[in-house]
Amino acid sequence: MTGTNPLDHVVQHPIVEAELDAGLLTPEGVVTLMSDHIAMTILAGLVLCIVLPLAFRRSRKTGDIDRLVTTGFAGAIEVICQYLRKEVAEPTLGEHTDRFIKYVWSLFFFVLTINLLGMLPIGVITPLAFGVHIGGTATGNIWVTGTLAVITLVMMVINGLRLGKIEYLKHFCPGPWWMAPILVPVEIAGLLAKTFALAVRLFANMLAGHLILAVLLGFILAAGSVSAGAGFGVAIPAVLGSVGISLLEIFVAFLQAFIFTFLTTLFIGMSVVFHHDDHEEATAH
Amino acid sequence: MKKRNMQIRSLLVVAIVAIVAAAAVSPAFAAEGGNENIFSGNLGNAVWTLLIFGAVLVVLGKYAWGPLLDALQKREQFIRDALVEAKNDREDAQARLEEYDSKLHEARAEATAIVEEGRRDGEVVKARLEDEARQESQKMIERAKREIDVAKQTAIRELYSTSAQLATDMASRILRKELSAAEREKLVARSLDELERMDTN
Repeated sequence: MTGTNPLDHVVQHPIVEAELDAGLLTPEGVVTLMSDHIAMTILAGLVLCIVLPLAFRRSRKTGDIDRLVTTGFAGAIEVICQYLRKEVAEPTLGEHTDRFIKYVWSLFFFVLTINLLGMLPIGVITPLAFGVHIGGTATGNIWVTGTLAVITLVMMVINGLRLGKIEYLKHFCPGPWWMAPILVPVEIAGLLAKTFALAVRLFANMLAGHLILAVLLGFILAAGSVSAGAGFGVAIPAVLGSVGISLLEIFVAFLQAFIFTFLTTLFIGMSVVFHHDDHEEATAH
Repeated sequence: MKKRNMQIRSLLVVAIVAIVAAAAVSPAFAAEGGNENIFSGNLGNAVWTLLIFGAVLVVLGKYAWGPLLDALQKREQFIRDALVEAKNDREDAQARLEEYDSKLHEARAEATAIVEEGRRDGEVVKARLEDEARQESQKMIERAKREIDVAKQTAIRELYSTSAQLATDMASRILRKELSAAEREKLVARSLDELERMDTN
């Protein structure tokens, strides 16, 4: 029943696969149609699509003032949303805040829900109940975080072109025009690096936390294989350590969702909001 | 009650610790059989992620973020309007207070002027009345004096007349000589003239 390799507990477990050769997009020549990570992503989507609309369903309150006052669970969500809007989005997106805020909120809660669902111990039950492994953290999958980062890249480029137009293109060559052959590839590489960093940061953080947990608990199994007494002896500090790391993981779940959202907002802001530093400096002097 | 709350709290803590411990334990007991490449995944994961995130974006955008953003914007507008209104009201109140202060000041000055004017008018009336009363009393005194003089003269004249008549009666009795009416009148007139001459001297 036990997996001695800790990686086994964090990687994806395919449930349904089909053969397909799409080059780099299917490294093993197969496409996963269903897996534990995909199932957790669907679950996260369902949770969000049911819970949040219920929380924000049209208020039955009467009176102009009462309608403006949010209470209960919606109030808690609203606090997070308002913080993201006022403290994260507005300083970077400025006048475009409300244009992108729905994307920012969706991204934060999507990543957060996947992160938190990954903490649920359902991976123990589902193989027994359904015969398949469902569980794990989908954000510990580089393809999931990579897709979210690519969506952000598309948002950056499309909205940069749509809202910034020529100003956005000019940013690809911040120096004199004759340096364009060097600067433009560097800027494009920078754009891709931002996307790559965004994907890897979330992936690595979520993967690392779960790996530590797996390693800690793997100590129990390793000790248990020597003798039952050693197994119990190791189990106590290992479980206590795991509890501590799990609490840390809950914090990391929030933190990484926030960082991913914050950086996404920052990158989109860099594409659509242009500060004319030269002009500002000239007026300052 | 407090003890019961403590018990519930303890149970909650135990439950949370149990859940966290179970969450921690779950990866270690996960089913085997997956490949062990940490980058495992493919186009399927990307497409699913894209589809699910797209659906989440659309559903939440319409049924959660839409109402929320609308409420936030309305609230912000309401607060902004309320602040502007409060500022305007405060300025209006300040202006009105200044206006009322000014009016009060004017009214106070006007009242003082009216009282002053009344006092002045009163003094004028008082002086006039006093003057009129003085003149009236003077006139009355004059009139009384005149009347007294007339009465005095009349009385004196009657006294002289009666005295002269008595004197002539007595003289005629002494002389035993009857005077005629014309002689008596002449004698009385002569005596009165002498008396008047004596009086004026």
